[in-house]
Amino acid sequence: MISVRTAKGYDLPIQGAPLETSQTIALPATVAVLPEHIPFVRPRLAVAEGDRVAVGDLLFTDKTNPRFRFLSPGGGRVDAIHYGPRRVLREIVIRRDAENEPVTSLGRPLDGDAIDRYPRAELVAHLLAGGVWPLLRALPYRDIADPEQVPPAIFVSLDHREPFQVPPARYLENNRALFELGLRALKRLSPTVHVHADAADRAFCEAHQELITHRVQGRYPADDPGVVLFQVRRSPEENTAWFIDGQDLLLMAQLLQSGAYPTARLFAVAGTGAAAPRYVASRMGAPIKDLAGEIGCRDPRYLVGGVLRGYTGDPEGHMGLYETALAVLPEPGDVDFLTLFRPGPNKPTYSRTFLSALRRAPLPMTTNVNGGRRACIACGYCADVCPVDIWPQMTLKSILAEEVEEYLAQGLLDCVECGLCTYVCPSKIELAATLQAAKHAHRKEQA
Amino acid sequence: MKAIRTLFHHLRPRFEEGGPYHKLYAFYESIETVFFGPVERSEGLPHVRDSLDVKRFMALVIVALIPHLCFGIYNSGLQSRLASGLSTDLLPVIWSGIWLVLPMVIVTYVVGFAWEILFAVVRKHEISEGLFVSCMLFPLTLPPGTPLWQVALGISFGIVIGKEVFGGTGRNFLNPALTGRAFLYFAYPVSLSGDQVWTVLSGARTTVVDTFTAATPLSVSASTPAGQAVEETLHSVGYGALKLFGGLYPGSVGGTSTLLCVLGGLFLILLGIASYRIILGGVLGVLCTGALLNLIAGPDSAPFLSLNPFYHLIMGGSAFGIVYMTTDPVSATHMKHVKWIYGFMCGMLTVLIRVFNPAFPEGVGLAILFMNLFNPLLDHIEMQLRMRRRMSNV
Repeated sequence: MISVRTAKGYDLPIQGAPLETSQTIALPATVAVLPEHIPFVRPRLAVAEGDRVAVGDLLFTDKTNPRFRFLSPGGGRVDAIHYGPRRVLREIVIRRDAENEPVTSLGRPLDGDAIDRYPRAELVAHLLAGGVWPLLRALPYRDIADPEQVPPAIFVSLDHREPFQVPPARYLENNRALFELGLRALKRLSPTVHVHADAADRAFCEAHQELITHRVQGRYPADDPGVVLFQVRRSPEENTAWFIDGQDLLLMAQLLQSGAYPTARLFAVAGTGAAAPRYVASRMGAPIKDLAGEIGCRDPRYLVGGVLRGYTGDPEGHMGLYETALAVLPEPGDVDFLTLFRPGPNKPTYSRTFLSALRRAPLPMTTNVNGGRRACIACGYCADVCPVDIWPQMTLKSILAEEVEEYLAQGLLDCVECGLCTYVCPSKIELAATLQAAKHAHRKEQA
Repeated sequence: MKAIRTLFHHLRPRFEEGGPYHKLYAFYESIETVFFGPVERSEGLPHVRDSLDVKRFMALVIVALIPHLCFGIYNSGLQSRLASGLSTDLLPVIWSGIWLVLPMVIVTYVVGFAWEILFAVVRKHEISEGLFVSCMLFPLTLPPGTPLWQVALGISFGIVIGKEVFGGTGRNFLNPALTGRAFLYFAYPVSLSGDQVWTVLSGARTTVVDTFTAATPLSVSASTPAGQAVEETLHSVGYGALKLFGGLYPGSVGGTSTLLCVLGGLFLILLGIASYRIILGGVLGVLCTGALLNLIAGPDSAPFLSLNPFYHLIMGGSAFGIVYMTTDPVSATHMKHVKWIYGFMCGMLTVLIRVFNPAFPEGVGLAILFMNLFNPLLDHIEMQLRMRRRMSNV
């Protein structure tokens, strides 16, 4: 097992971690797929409102690459298709049949030996038809992996350092064999498969040491596949490595093993605003309301996917294809009186300008920006936390000046979009969003 | 607290879109956010944000400067009364000091704030707090009793030419307070240089009492006759090392006490606001250059060359400049490692100007302004080196 150390990064001292309890909730009445939050996909619908679908039936394909198929996580009737501004396809909601949910078969079940003998092209076709291919994604843009390519490596990411994710020990508990089956399939796709886990989970690393190839040390986002790649790569060719989340690999293995579209998901529900932070076993695309349960604050914001990188979920909406974390944070309410002059023992900060710097206790957080927007004062905090050694303030200026070659040379494409630079910025500059937008624009230009 | 909130609640509409004072919204906003922290919902990536903002960042620098202001008030009063042969009881000293120093501070803030508001209104942005630090630093670098119209002119030059014409705080490349100070120095040399400007006479006196040394330690050092040691000359006019370290001697309002600079520097470094790289680099620069001059000093050279390097740190404004002026993050280098070079060069140039340029007894301000000009180049060099080392990903 190789040790990988990342010196920079930051662990957010945020309150509301899930309690050590798991809960299985009743199967939801509706499930959904959210094309809007699948990266770089231009959906072409295959169903209309009112159509009957079974679990595993096609809902839509991608216009750019029609081999990317997105399947229904529920069996029943297409209840609603929601559009956003400029006809962005937001949600395809399926109302499940309460009993005898229809399920489509997606090919014959395979065991490990069969997978080892499976020709690569056929395995790729199998995964594409089975709707789990989109779970494999490619660096540096984090888009869906190109099935025509053979990647230099695949990283299986057991990361969970962003608040608040499901720790791999929870979903691997009874699924070790399934996980190994998934690894065998990945080995058919790429000559090199890495599995990396957080070294801080000592017991977990011990228990699964034959599986884990890289033990990562460091603060968030040290266990992100992009950061691990940044640390271990030997040549620029490795930059286009693929990655897959641990829980997603289980889904892929399940499809191969059973021949049916896999839909089981373990979610982490947490945050200052969640009355009962806990782990919830439910269905892919479950309704946010069902998962969140009781809410402990007046004006909640639902963060789907994590406190730092997630997106704001509609309280009446559903979870996306990839996201297994739901955090509830209060929107900023009453303003603080004379905050400027307070020592701030409860004010979370990366800096040392509040008393809270003296203790590392989890603190309540809101979605307040906590300050006015100013020009960059070159404090250098963003560069201090950047896990891949970018100088975000300099790269930001290169982006604003449209110096393409310069910002690429400064490492823009290494950016893992962790959001830390924006978090620490006292001038409240949207660094991470600007860098991400520049990355996306660059991808568009490449295509 | 409720009353204040009601007051702001009542006033806000007048400054908002459509209100009669909408043009002064920037001014209103800057006052309101002092009392009530700002509220703005984040848009994501990430959804939560650090509690630190620029307002607090700058306010803490002002906190570090307040002891210098208090010391400056006391010292200005003390020197003035000593020179005039008056009693040096605490209360009268403070009273004299307040009359000498506070008008300068108030004029600086009123004029500086007025310019900032003007630019904020025209450019439609909020008032940036860097101004408050510049306005605190500027009077501390002046001799007590500088004519108030000169104070107003100096800070106007510093704020407008040193900062606002480039786009305001964050986009300037010179330290605004030092720009204003340098402007006054070159525009009005008579009232800002020489031995007589550093103490203000009180009462009816027109000449200093005989027992009082009006010359600053730096001018004493520079004019030490050949063959004599500078340390001894300083000692003979009452400037022992401890006195110089403590700062109770004629000089700029707030820059004389190295003791307070050490404490303030530690405070800012502990809070992570000032870069320790720059400060240590600056101290090293002064000491190394001083030691180097000691080595090359021959029997015929000026005695200033043989001065113990530590004296360069405790005399004049070098400590104040290194702790508070070089560390202005905007005009300092933005990259990490060249901060050492920047600090070192500031310290080195300070000593070189002091020793080799008889026209300028103090060199720290000019040294820092000079190095400010080189910072973009230093940043560029470090960035190029980093980019070259980085594995490409395009």
